[in-house]
Amino acid sequence: MNISRRRFAKTLLLSGTALAAAPRFPGLLTGAAAEMSIVVQAVSPRLRRQNHDIPPAAAREFLDRSLQAITGKTDPAAAWGTLFARHETVGIKLSCLPGRMLSSSPGLVAAIVSGLQAAGLNRKNIIIWERSSRELENAGYEISRSGLKTMGSDELPGRGYGNRIAVAGSVGTVFSGIMESIDALISVPVLKDHDLAGVSLAMKNMYGAIFNPNKFHANRCDPYVADLCSHPLVRGKLRLAVCDASRVQFHNGPAFFPRYASEYGGLLVSRDPVALDYCGWGIIESLRREAGLPSLAAAGREPSYIRSAARLGLGRDQESQIQRIIL
Amino acid sequence: MKSKESSFASPHSRRAFIRNAGRAAVAAPLLFSPATKSGAAGPAPQAHQAEYYDKLTDKKITCRLCPHQCQVADLERGSCGVRENRGGKYYTLVYGQPSAVHVDPIEKKPLFHYHPGSQAYSLGTAGCNFNCRFCQNWEISQRRPEQVQSLKLLPAEVIRQARGRDCSLIAHTYSEPVVFYEYMRDCAALGKEKGIPNVMISNGYIQKKPLRELCRLLGAVKIDLKAFTEKFYREQCGGTLKPVLDTLLTLREEKIWFEIVVLLIPGLNDSREEIEKMCHWLAREMGNNVPLHFSRFTPTYMMKNIPPTPPAVLHEARRIALDAGIKFCYIGNLISNAEHTYCPSCAKLLLRRLMYSVSNEGMQGNRCRSCQTVIPGVFV
Repeated sequence: MNISRRRFAKTLLLSGTALAAAPRFPGLLTGAAAEMSIVVQAVSPRLRRQNHDIPPAAAREFLDRSLQAITGKTDPAAAWGTLFARHETVGIKLSCLPGRMLSSSPGLVAAIVSGLQAAGLNRKNIIIWERSSRELENAGYEISRSGLKTMGSDELPGRGYGNRIAVAGSVGTVFSGIMESIDALISVPVLKDHDLAGVSLAMKNMYGAIFNPNKFHANRCDPYVADLCSHPLVRGKLRLAVCDASRVQFHNGPAFFPRYASEYGGLLVSRDPVALDYCGWGIIESLRREAGLPSLAAAGREPSYIRSAARLGLGRDQESQIQRIIL
Repeated sequence: MKSKESSFASPHSRRAFIRNAGRAAVAAPLLFSPATKSGAAGPAPQAHQAEYYDKLTDKKITCRLCPHQCQVADLERGSCGVRENRGGKYYTLVYGQPSAVHVDPIEKKPLFHYHPGSQAYSLGTAGCNFNCRFCQNWEISQRRPEQVQSLKLLPAEVIRQARGRDCSLIAHTYSEPVVFYEYMRDCAALGKEKGIPNVMISNGYIQKKPLRELCRLLGAVKIDLKAFTEKFYREQCGGTLKPVLDTLLTLREEKIWFEIVVLLIPGLNDSREEIEKMCHWLAREMGNNVPLHFSRFTPTYMMKNIPPTPPAVLHEARRIALDAGIKFCYIGNLISNAEHTYCPSCAKLLLRRLMYSVSNEGMQGNRCRSCQTVIPGVFV
């Protein structure tokens, strides 16, 4: 096998980082867990949407390579197995508000499921979910309540939400019953601009896991997004963020506006949602620049919650602490 | 033929009064409550065109119903969680879809000087424009419409149901009626036409224009004045004080009957200084005939770490209000003599209350039987 000098150095660095992570299945990064946060950014014509969907084979290939880069494992199954144990129940939280044109692609989600299965997880222990089944259906998913489950929180008793109040900093809420029932979580946002938050990526996607997201949009969602993600249910379970950047809404989100959408053909993967959000924000800024739009800061929508999350130790938002790996 | 003193005023025996009080306290007829513990995904809430909003570019809108004035992008909702932008048009998702329906005595709202002794057909939908950490009805007020069970109850059916249950009033209550504005307004318009007055139990967080429209249709309003500091409103409620004070001034201008409730929470809004400031403002701006209720806090929702309000604090607050010139000041959520109405001129007991039961002790029509002083309010 030919390994380029660059790739070799990258792999070496990654292996060291992986070794530094103390617990086998940690949640979000803590300050002491690693020196650097790794964000894998893939851009390829093969990751562009065809009939509104990413081809699953291409998605699986790029996902495997991302996981290998993140974990330092050469075997894809072993890479997935580094993050998820066979016996665990894993929730895959999608982002489906805008409908089929701008939701987490079914092809990408199928690739995540197949990666988990490669690691030995049972299909029946995987839940693909959103706030409501209706949103999933609108995004092109078929609802399934058994086996590999694909369902909205609203399918659960109590329409998804019980009465257990959770408080984290400025956020007081009730979590979806799905959050309570899973061992591990994968956040699968779409790379998009957000009218109030600035950007809506891996961390903001967690607004779909609570019953009152409408209460936390003031002040560009800062510090609410960060506080929400600091709750043990999120912080302790979020293992991986996979951002669908096949189509990017760089302005006027979160709904789909073709005029401000780019067929970017990208994918971002990280174990650090703060770092992923930081890198995703950068992509949106560059697309905005290309389109002659002002920066989010100039538009009064800088996503300052990303910095707040870093301050809470949920991840990293400094270039010097983020290792970007471009596939 | 009925005398001028209607049912509330008919003399109750002491035994009957106590029996009724007990019934009112423990067995208020419950017609429908949110059954959030069971049931799978329900149908999508039906959308009804909302009013009071401005269209912006790129399918965005600005809501003009409440002082939040949420700017809402396509597919998003306002802070209330029940008004949604769909392609640049704004919709309410709770029109005709109450999540709680009960028959309550009007004293429970509390409105003490408005049709005392009457039963109110009471309803509320999901959603609220505040986020009070001490909300007693958070299970509907903080949820979105799709997260609670609801009835299909259009205004004409509300009137029919109220009549069928011998309710002479309709109360919009429990969560925050401002967020189901169009539904409440249509019920109130029809109720006015059919002779069943509607009342609004609200936090008063509403813009002036929709409020004025409402005042022409409602019979009475109760406003929760949460505190008298911006800090409390900002930190505990997710709102601001100034618009609520503006609402009180508008209600006075509109000459609609209204009463004010203040929930006193230990350590947060019960300082002597704050209560004095509030009472002097109320006496000066509202006049001294607007009833003021100090209500006892009990730990709930996100405020379970604060003890109930000590009775002495409530009595002291009442003393401050009376000293400020407010003629009718009551204490709620606590059995005491401060639930009764006394004549401000001769101090005779006029209306005796126990929990939510009321008996006429000294009123004739709207006057004190003893000294003929007119008691402000609507006594029918």
